[in-house]
Parts: sequence; structure tokens; C-alpha cells
Amino acid sequence: MSSATRYFRLIGSLGRYALARELSFRGNFLAKVSVEVLWLGILLAFYRTIFARTSSIAEWSEPQYLFFVGCFFALNGLIETLFLENCDGFAELVRTGDLDFLLLKPIDEQFLITCRRVDWSTAPNVVMGAAVMVLSLWQMHWAFEPARIVAFFVSFACGVMIAYCFMLMLTSVSVWMVRNQGLMEMWWLFSSLARYPKEIFSHTWADPIGRFFTYILPILLVVNVPSQAMVRILDWRMVGFTLLATIVLFWVSRKFFQKALRSYRSASS
Amino acid sequence: MPIIEAKGLTKTYRVFQKKDGLLGALKGLYRREYKTVRAVDEVSFTIEPGEMVAFLGPNGAGKTTTLKMLSGLIYPTSGSARVLDFTPWDRQDAFRRQFALVMGQKNQLWWDLPASDSFELHREIYSLPAAQFNATLNELTELLGVQKLTKQAVRELSLGERMKMELIAALLHQPRLLLLDEPTIGLDVVAQVAIQKCLKEYHARRGVTILLTSHYMRDVEALCSRVLVITHGKLLYDGELSGLTERFGDEKIVKLEFAEGTPDDLARFGEVTRTDEFTADLKVERVKIAEILGAILDRHAVADLSVQDPPLEQVIARVFQEGKDAHDAA
Repeated sequence: MSSATRYFRLIGSLGRYALARELSFRGNFLAKVSVEVLWLGILLAFYRTIFARTSSIAEWSEPQYLFFVGCFFALNGLIETLFLENCDGFAELVRTGDLDFLLLKPIDEQFLITCRRVDWSTAPNVVMGAAVMVLSLWQMHWAFEPARIVAFFVSFACGVMIAYCFMLMLTSVSVWMVRNQGLMEMWWLFSSLARYPKEIFSHTWADPIGRFFTYILPILLVVNVPSQAMVRILDWRMVGFTLLATIVLFWVSRKFFQKALRSYRSASS
Repeated sequence: MPIIEAKGLTKTYRVFQKKDGLLGALKGLYRREYKTVRAVDEVSFTIEPGEMVAFLGPNGAGKTTTLKMLSGLIYPTSGSARVLDFTPWDRQDAFRRQFALVMGQKNQLWWDLPASDSFELHREIYSLPAAQFNATLNELTELLGVQKLTKQAVRELSLGERMKMELIAALLHQPRLLLLDEPTIGLDVVAQVAIQKCLKEYHARRGVTILLTSHYMRDVEALCSRVLVITHGKLLYDGELSGLTERFGDEKIVKLEFAEGTPDDLARFGEVTRTDEFTADLKVERVKIAEILGAILDRHAVADLSVQDPPLEQVIARVFQEGKDAHDAA
């Protein structure tokens, strides 16, 4: 069995067991799903209110902005489903020493630590986000363009990876800090930055901030590039830059994570 | 070739020294004081394939730290080790496939799911062929008598049952080396004996090498003929279990039964540890045993007598105390 097949099979198994575990606490599962549905509803109602008074926000028309919101929701949902719970729990694994068991397994540590539990309660967000995107495309009478679809999926996947890399670096710090309650706050800051079009940073004083979060800490690429590629301007240079940023960030975050593991002290028994 | 070879293995930690009170906590924000703790100090030993070795020491002696270095979880400060012909802290997959670490105080199974689900996941991670996996699982569940419990959520199992499941999970991939860190801690006598029996039987069948730490001397006596004793990070003794008593147990227990009642002058021969109408136990210096037995037999009508080594717990306690005294003196 090839290495890739083995890892795909493992993701499938981990997902299956996580679902079995989640469904054994049915009430909790339903409550979490309800909160996510409510959250999307509030978000859409809020933007509907704004667009009742204006025809565009930062050069994005209402259907285009709807697509942006759907893209953010799907991407954020995917990250939360696959990685957030695992990364958030990493500090606890370090503190209690339970990380020991994960490091003993004959498998890539980064994979096992960051993908071992699938949070199915946020998975409906991906479907809801996709539904919002399809609705917006229908509203704007979007003409089918294969190049845009390719650019969208490539940059969407890169967006997920960029977010994952930031999360991995934030969570790696737990090895030195042991308690890392700031991760969720940092993640909230990250998702707050990612959820708005980068054109909101086009004013004089905000321009350097926009450039910083596009080219240095490329958080603004995460949702902006796939959304732009699909419903606004298809800029292949930007898609290429996003791909390059993803590769560099993945390499840096992996090295950082491995360096952190070298400093792991393991809690005493 | 040894299965484990440790040379001058040393691990030091920097430990933050927290000052008392709020003022101390505030000072700690800008200036912190650290103490260097030498958890393991120049430890060297070898273990041959198929051996069952006990690693003994008081709490904080460095046993678990050594096990964690040998399993590649933590990096040593200095020294080297070869385990299964690998450098453990390189954590190569080929190395990790060949050993298992069981920690009595920790749980690696999925808490909310049946143990069988964790075993299946284990099979996937180790890429075990289905036939081999099923055969090993059947063998182990039978050996530990838990065939009917694998479908029950782990959180609903008793501590003893959970430990048995942990042991099964550790042995499913048929490791060549098994590192056990207090596997029977907190278990009742019945569960302890069941675990000991399983380990003994599995060792006889598969010839697995076992390095065990335990505070229960019953585990050690039941399983291991060789012991390593470590205190304050330094290896004090490496040899046969029986040799430990000879080297550190400089007293013997003499059990006496008198034909005409227990005499009242026994204290002159040694320390009386127990007495009743017809029997008494005396603690006597090992070198004087022949002389004292001769004197007792001359003076009193002895119906029966036996000479025994002191309990292993007492010998070990003495070894630990000597190690502590030596450390404090240094």
C-alpha cells in the first residue's frame, strides 16, 4: 500500500471513529450544529441589512459579497472540522504528557497530532457555505468558465493550507509555553482578518496593513484569492503567488513544529 | 548484539523556581530563576534479547525519564543509546514498529469508544495484515480473559480491565521490546496477578524483551531475575535479583519455634521483631548467623527453625536510603 493511500485510509478511519464518538453524545452534537446554523443566519441577515442601503461594499456587489461570505464559511468550516479541535487540544496533550502515545506511533507525528480527530459538528458549515456560494452564482447569472473553477479550487485548497500552517505554528508554541490558551484568541483574530475583502485596507493609513497581511503574513489571501478568481478578476499571478506562499509556509511551519517537538519534555508520570 | 545499549545517558532539566506570593509572581514576569535538575546521570547498561529486567528506584529516581529516552520521546542532554539497533530519538518508523511502551498511569485508548475500535485504528496505523491482527487479538484477549469486554466503551471498564486492554493494544503489533512503566499501579491483587501471568506467558511464547518499572516487589519477583537500581539519576546496582539481597541485605530473619515456650532472653541474640507463646522472629546480622544459632541451640530447646532473607521491600528500601544518604552527603 502506498504511503498516500495509507494516509487517506487513516483519515477515513479517524473520521469514522470520530463520528461514532460524536453521535454517542447526540444532544451535544445537535446543539453545536444549531449554533453554527444560527451564526450563518445572523451573518446573512446582517449583510442583507447593509446591502438594503448600498449597492456595494469595498467594490463587491451583493451577489459577489454573498459568494465571499459563503467561501469564508466553507473554508473556515473545513479548517474547524479537520484541524481546530486537534490544534486546540495540543497544549493539553503537552501538559498532561499524553502526547507520548502519539509520538510512539509509526506514522508522521504532524499528521497524527493535527488530524486525529474530526469535529463533525462543524462539517455542516462546509455544506452551508457551498450552498451560499451556489446561490450567489445563480443570483449573478454566473457564466461557466473552467479556468475560474480550476483557479478557485487551487486557491481554495491553498487557503485551507495557509490557515492550517498558521494554526500549526501557533499550536507548536505550546511545547514551550505548556499553557497556550491564546490559541483560540489568535485564531479568532486570524479568521476576523480573513473574513473581509482586502479592499477594506485600501485607504492611505490602512494600505500598509493590507500589504503586510497579503505579502508578509498572507492571511488576506485565504478567502480573497479564491473568491476573486471565481466571481471578480481572475488574476493568475495572484493565484501563483498564493500557491508559492502556501509551499513556503508549509515548509516553515513543519520545520517549526519539528523544532518544537525536539524541545518536548514529557510530563512526569 | 544487545537489544538496548545505553552509554552515559544523561538528562538535565531547567526547572523554574516560583517565588511565594503575588509579589514573587510579579517578579517572575521579568526575572526568572531556574534550577538545573539532573534527572538521569551517566547511566550505562545493556540488555540482551529475551531478557526480563526490572528497573527499580524511588519516585523521581529517573526511571521513567530513562524509559522515555529509550523510547525516543525525549532527547538526552548527553550520552548515547542504541535500541533495536536504532538511535531512539530519531524516531524512525521502522524503530517504532518494533517496540511498545505501556504507562500504568496513562491511557492511550479512545475513552468514549469500545476498545475494539482503538484496536482497529491501531491495525491501520501499524498496517497489520488482517489475519495476523485477528490471530494476535484472539490470543491476547484469551490470555487476559477479556473476550467479552472489547465491545464495551473504555470509560465503562474497571481500572484492571482497562489496563488489560492497554496491554493488548501495546502487544497487537507483536513488538520485540516491551517497556512497561508501572503497569500494575493502583490495581487490586487479582488484576496484578493476571497482568503478571499474561506477561510471563507472553514472554515464554514470543521471547519478547521486557524492561519493567514497578513499585510492587511482587511484580519484580514474579517476572524478573535481573534488576537495575537507580536513585537520584545514578545507577546503583545492575545484577541478579538474588544478588541484591546479598549485597544490600546484611541481615537475616531467623524464625524460631520453642518446645517449652518462648524464652525471655532473646534480645541478647538480635532484634526481636515478633513473638508469642511458642514462636519468635529475630533479625540477626548476616555475618554472625552461625555463631548466634549455635548459642540459641545451646541454651534453649528449639523445636524448629528457619533462616530467611528479609523481604525484598525492606532490602530495596535500604538501597534507596543508602542512595539518598550518598546523594545528600555529596
